[in-house]
Amino acid sequence: MQKEEIKTRVKKVIAQVLGMDEAEISDDANFIFDLGADSRQSLELVAAFEEEFDIEMDEDKALEVQTVADAVDFIAQYVK
Amino acid sequence: MDGLSASKREHFKKIFYPESVAVVGANRVPGTVPYDMLINILRSDFTGVVYPVNPREKAIAGVKTYKYVLDIPDPVDLAVLVYPSSVCNLALEQCGEKGIKSVIIISAGFREIGGVGIEREQKLLEIARKYDINFIGPNCLGVINTDPVVNLNASFARKMPESGNIGFLSQSGALCTAVLDYAQAKHIGFSKFISFGNKADINEIDLLYYLGEDPKTKVILVYLEEISDGRGLMKAAQEIISQTGKPILAIKSGRTEAGASAAASHTGSLAGSDEITDAALRQAGIIRCANIEEMFNLATAFAYQPLPDNNRVAIITNAGGPGVLTTDAAIQEGLQLAKFSEETTAMFKKTLPKTANIKNPVDVIGDARADRYNIALSQALKDPNVDGVFVILTPQSMTDIEAIAREVVTVAGRYDKPIFASFMGEKDVFVGIDILQRNNIPHYTLPETMAKAFATTYKFKKRLAEPVPVFEPFKDVNKEKAHQLLDAALNEGKTYLAEFEASEVLAAYGLPVVTSKMATSAEEAKTLAEEVGFPLVMKVMSKDVVHKSDAGGVVLNVQSADEAAQAYAQIVANVKKYKSDAHIDGILLRRMIPKGEEVILGSKRDVSFGGVVMFGLGGIFVEVMKDISFKVAPLSQKEAQDMIDEIKGAPLLYGMRNLPARDVDALKESLQRLSQLVEECPQIKELDINPLIVLEKGKGCFIADARIIL
Repeated sequence: MQKEEIKTRVKKVIAQVLGMDEAEISDDANFIFDLGADSRQSLELVAAFEEEFDIEMDEDKALEVQTVADAVDFIAQYVK
Repeated sequence: MDGLSASKREHFKKIFYPESVAVVGANRVPGTVPYDMLINILRSDFTGVVYPVNPREKAIAGVKTYKYVLDIPDPVDLAVLVYPSSVCNLALEQCGEKGIKSVIIISAGFREIGGVGIEREQKLLEIARKYDINFIGPNCLGVINTDPVVNLNASFARKMPESGNIGFLSQSGALCTAVLDYAQAKHIGFSKFISFGNKADINEIDLLYYLGEDPKTKVILVYLEEISDGRGLMKAAQEIISQTGKPILAIKSGRTEAGASAAASHTGSLAGSDEITDAALRQAGIIRCANIEEMFNLATAFAYQPLPDNNRVAIITNAGGPGVLTTDAAIQEGLQLAKFSEETTAMFKKTLPKTANIKNPVDVIGDARADRYNIALSQALKDPNVDGVFVILTPQSMTDIEAIAREVVTVAGRYDKPIFASFMGEKDVFVGIDILQRNNIPHYTLPETMAKAFATTYKFKKRLAEPVPVFEPFKDVNKEKAHQLLDAALNEGKTYLAEFEASEVLAAYGLPVVTSKMATSAEEAKTLAEEVGFPLVMKVMSKDVVHKSDAGGVVLNVQSADEAAQAYAQIVANVKKYKSDAHIDGILLRRMIPKGEEVILGSKRDVSFGGVVMFGLGGIFVEVMKDISFKVAPLSQKEAQDMIDEIKGAPLLYGMRNLPARDVDALKESLQRLSQLVEECPQIKELDINPLIVLEKGKGCFIADARIIL
């Protein structure tokens, strides 16, 4: 899967979980600082990414990911 | 005071008296720190403007919310960061761009968790330096300022305390909330209440200076878990106390730390880190408290009442037993029972019942009502022989507790002398205690704590009147020579200097060493003995033999050159028998010192306070009784004198019964010279002068043995 496709789907998931418009989500947005994700929503995001891409991620490492771009890179490691 | 730079002073002003506050990272989830922080500021009736900052919310608690601090259209004085630690750097960077210079970082997850937390804290410091920001925290509860000009509760403490004149600083946030709860029950008010957490930028020394300058603060309380700059803390405390007259009360936790187990000298093994902390705080004039209760017992005494001019107290009681208990407690604490003037005695005779005891303690009898307390208290306070009054009450069936408490409050307001009270009991007397506490009369459940509190205020006042100790360095010392000797030893890989080499270093600082010669053969001993003079003592010099006498390594009273040669052979044989592989550097020959009082002088380098000097009487006094005193080097004359006087065995030096007075002046000079050596030669880790023989007054003192650990 191409990174562009991953990015599009990542933004779609973020928009759904955080209840915001996809257009508001920039590539370098920080989940907490720019998108306002709290700790509960961070966990929901990890679960939603796993469902979207049908993958199982290392949860501790996944929660350390700070930006949308880093999330795309991180998920790319798991996606075939 | 020049403890705070102009820019820091300005930044502090905006931390405590902001006109606008941004709560950066606030949210809408009640029961979380980011929400409670915002709500506490709003509920405290803050006089400025509040700006919540959150990337997604339009408003929180009805207050317009901004996505970034940079979006706030107006200037912001103070930012309170409540974001998770992983993004605090981003928030602080924006604060810098916005021009905010004063920040409180509440968030945890920094140095206290190690690893990545240390890196995050370092990053915060870098950003703060880049933008000239000063911040409190991270990992703290926040700041409260009860001054009605601002009414700021920028903390997640449950309650805003009552307004008062006590400033409280704490490294522990959790302790703060416990203290607030404790204080509320006793109507203890605060001027400023500050939790400073990891003290990454602003530390307790800065905050002490701030409270020293704060006109709303009369008494400073501080809770510390670790002291990273002991010298800085001492300097700040000395300056604040001497220049403002504000007392500083401290709790330092970690009393039980076992830091002395692996020490290589007497001083090292006797000077645990807590003993040194204790001595250093006292030296700086800080009053150390064992626990919260003691701290507030003393704090209320300082905060509510004037300091006593002297230590003569009058006791007014409605029961004999408690009067005697209070008398005992007062005497135990070094106070005196006031002797009433003739006028007071005559007035008591005229106005109190015949059965009343009109001498001190004044017993106004069990049926006393408020009017009788009024007469006794007013007259005692008028008496020029009285410096303060203890009011005791026990609840008897006819005792009008509430009225008496009100009377005490009314009378206290008319005189500028301290009044302390002990309404003994719990349930019935509560109503009276509550009135006293609400009206700034310090109350104590036990007469003992009351007497201690009074004695502490008296000692503080006495110390305020004394000049600040100043160390005047001796000009005749040879610092270069001492450094040469110590550096040469270190270059040779030595970490231990025995008597002979140690004496050379001590001599460079004018310490009273006795001329010695070292022989490496029996023949040489014979020749050198003539040079040293008789009678002399001979001692083995070997790093392998610490206890020379046990090894047969000491021969006393050698009277001739031939005897010196024989003693040489005898010592070598004894030592080889004691420890066959002992390396013998030589045998020291030294003129025998006349008998005198044996004392021990020592030094140790403490991680917080640097060079520390120890003093004690020799032999069992040190080993068994641990009758020793410590002070941080260098020592003024007064401090050296205090070190001598602080030990219980001090009277032995001043002469008693058939014992002569010793040369305390010479001893004092040795302590001062040693303190200068320790201060100027950081190569010295530990040092023992054991014993120093103190001769009769006017005859000086001599070092009989010494060792230095590098």
